[in-house]
Amino acid sequence: MLVLISLSFSTMVLFCLAMAKHREQVLQREISTLSVTFFRPLAWVLLAFTAYMSINMFGWSIGGAVLFGALMVASLLLILLLTYQATIIPHIAIVLSIFVSIYIMVD
Amino acid sequence: MKSNFRQSMKWLHTWVGLVVGWVLLFMFLTGTLGYFYQEITRWMEPERPFVEHNISTEKLMDIAQSYYDEHGVGISEWDILLPTERDNNLRVGWREPKKEGEKRSRYKTRVLDLNTGEQVTTRETGGGRVLYRMHYRLHYLSTKISYWIVGFCTMLMLLAVVTGVVMHKKIFTDFFTFRAKKGLPGWLDSHNVLSVIALPFHFMITYSGLIFFLFTYMALSTDLQTTKEEYREMRQEIYPRTAHLDSANEPMAMQRISTLYQQVKADLPSNELKYVTVFSANDINAQVLFVRKDSDITYNPNDEVMVNGISGEFIKLVPRDYTGAGMVHNGFISLHEGQFAGPIARWLYFFSGLIGTAMIASGLILWTTKRKPKQMKRPDGPDLGYRLVDQLNIGSIVGFPIAIAVYFYANRLLPVDMVDRAQWEVDIMFISWAILLIYPACRASGKAWLEQLKLAAFVFLFLPVVNALTTDKHLLNSLIKQDWNLASFDLTSLVIGICFVFSAFKYKALGLNKNTKQQSVKLPNKQVPAKNEAILLMQKAHKDHSEC
Repeated sequence: MLVLISLSFSTMVLFCLAMAKHREQVLQREISTLSVTFFRPLAWVLLAFTAYMSINMFGWSIGGAVLFGALMVASLLLILLLTYQATIIPHIAIVLSIFVSIYIMVD
Repeated sequence: MKSNFRQSMKWLHTWVGLVVGWVLLFMFLTGTLGYFYQEITRWMEPERPFVEHNISTEKLMDIAQSYYDEHGVGISEWDILLPTERDNNLRVGWREPKKEGEKRSRYKTRVLDLNTGEQVTTRETGGGRVLYRMHYRLHYLSTKISYWIVGFCTMLMLLAVVTGVVMHKKIFTDFFTFRAKKGLPGWLDSHNVLSVIALPFHFMITYSGLIFFLFTYMALSTDLQTTKEEYREMRQEIYPRTAHLDSANEPMAMQRISTLYQQVKADLPSNELKYVTVFSANDINAQVLFVRKDSDITYNPNDEVMVNGISGEFIKLVPRDYTGAGMVHNGFISLHEGQFAGPIARWLYFFSGLIGTAMIASGLILWTTKRKPKQMKRPDGPDLGYRLVDQLNIGSIVGFPIAIAVYFYANRLLPVDMVDRAQWEVDIMFISWAILLIYPACRASGKAWLEQLKLAAFVFLFLPVVNALTTDKHLLNSLIKQDWNLASFDLTSLVIGICFVFSAFKYKALGLNKNTKQQSVKLPNKQVPAKNEAILLMQKAHKDHSEC
């Protein structure tokens, strides 16, 4: 479940970075337009992967329900961080991505 | 008539939400607690033993069967409810013989002591089940009236969800937007965020809530089109049961259930087994059904294994014959109840429910916040409608959680042998809620909010202390025994208490800021910027609100 929440968080961070107003909040420096164009497609790919992981872990029916729960928790966490501690979001996203990668490799 | 479609939807959303907002708040909060009703019941019966970690499933089955052999004479169908993450105690349950005047026989569970094998005598309490039932069966009202009131409110909630989506123009672009500002912008963003991030849950829980009582709400359709026999048949199609043999009235000793379990253990390991049902016990037709924890939202035939209670042979189960509509109905009900949810998914359900409750609360506060500046300018003060909404908000949003805490206090403090104890627990809860609803009428709004927030913080923080003073199932013991089930209750109470402390501090700080600002407005050199800022903020908030 923690893996799903981590993946959902990274997905939501990518969606968030695809929006100019939030990008300014989160990132300290300007990034290239080319990188920006990749955020949204990457977010969709990661969302699809999160859905795949959820179904893989909990089956077709329960997996779908759990996915929405994980996305909800991740969104709430991200929104609160955006408001109070926006600059640490990239760090958290990186740490969680490493955690997910290790989990997938070990599993 | 409003100028355009979106404006009309906004008007509908506002008034639909306001009319039933407090009932919905009550339903959402009690329903949310329902996700942990077994855990709450266990806490409310402190006579129950702590969790036993190293005991085999076979031994548990033997204890249950010995108890049944001694006390279940004449009972043909009974269950062994094995300890799970939700309820760590071994229980047995069966329907009591129907008493005179009763429509249906009552299903009763008994908690067993694993050392003595006897029933644990617990205090009379409504437990978590009463709280959970309240969200659809309003406690003091009749079943029929409750269902209709709940159905009406749920229908309006569904309307509020749909109109909310229609009127929210920037549902995607403002998905992550939350401006932690005081006043209208802050409450508007809170309401939007809480609505949007759990929108699938809000829609699912509302829609599925409506189809629970379809035979009540669609009574005209079913009553006019079906005879009594057809109606019964239709119910069986929608709620099919696992087929089993009835008693042949030929007594015969059954095998030990623990022995029968050895045959199915490979398919149903101990950690996956949820309960065991015995049909036609100690009869030539005896059958034993082993049931796994739910592995599917709808229905998985592989979750059940049946064996002959006499010979131990496997019985090929005929899968329950769900119709397409029945399966969809069952799926929605299962999603609503979250019976399939493991511990973490259950917490997700709980948080989703709290987000729903907070969404309704923020919507109600938004109504008063938006009207506050205009109301405060009135020479004779705010009108009756505004004051009523504000008072009901205080008494419901903060007052009702306090009343729930009082219910738990009553459980610990009322004499154990009191007559009608369970009913008194509920009565005390509603009496305290009534007081907390009336109280804001006697106080200024700001003071009433602050005082009730402080009271809420106190009652939740002090609850584990009262628990420790009155029982041995307190936090320290629960942690030592690694009884996470019991420990979670006390810890959750502390966390809720801390949240209320934070809210009270925040509210007080905002009040102080307001006073300071009001004083600074009097200074000539600060007057212009302060006023301009306030005007700009208000204009922006109103613009945002009309856009959403």
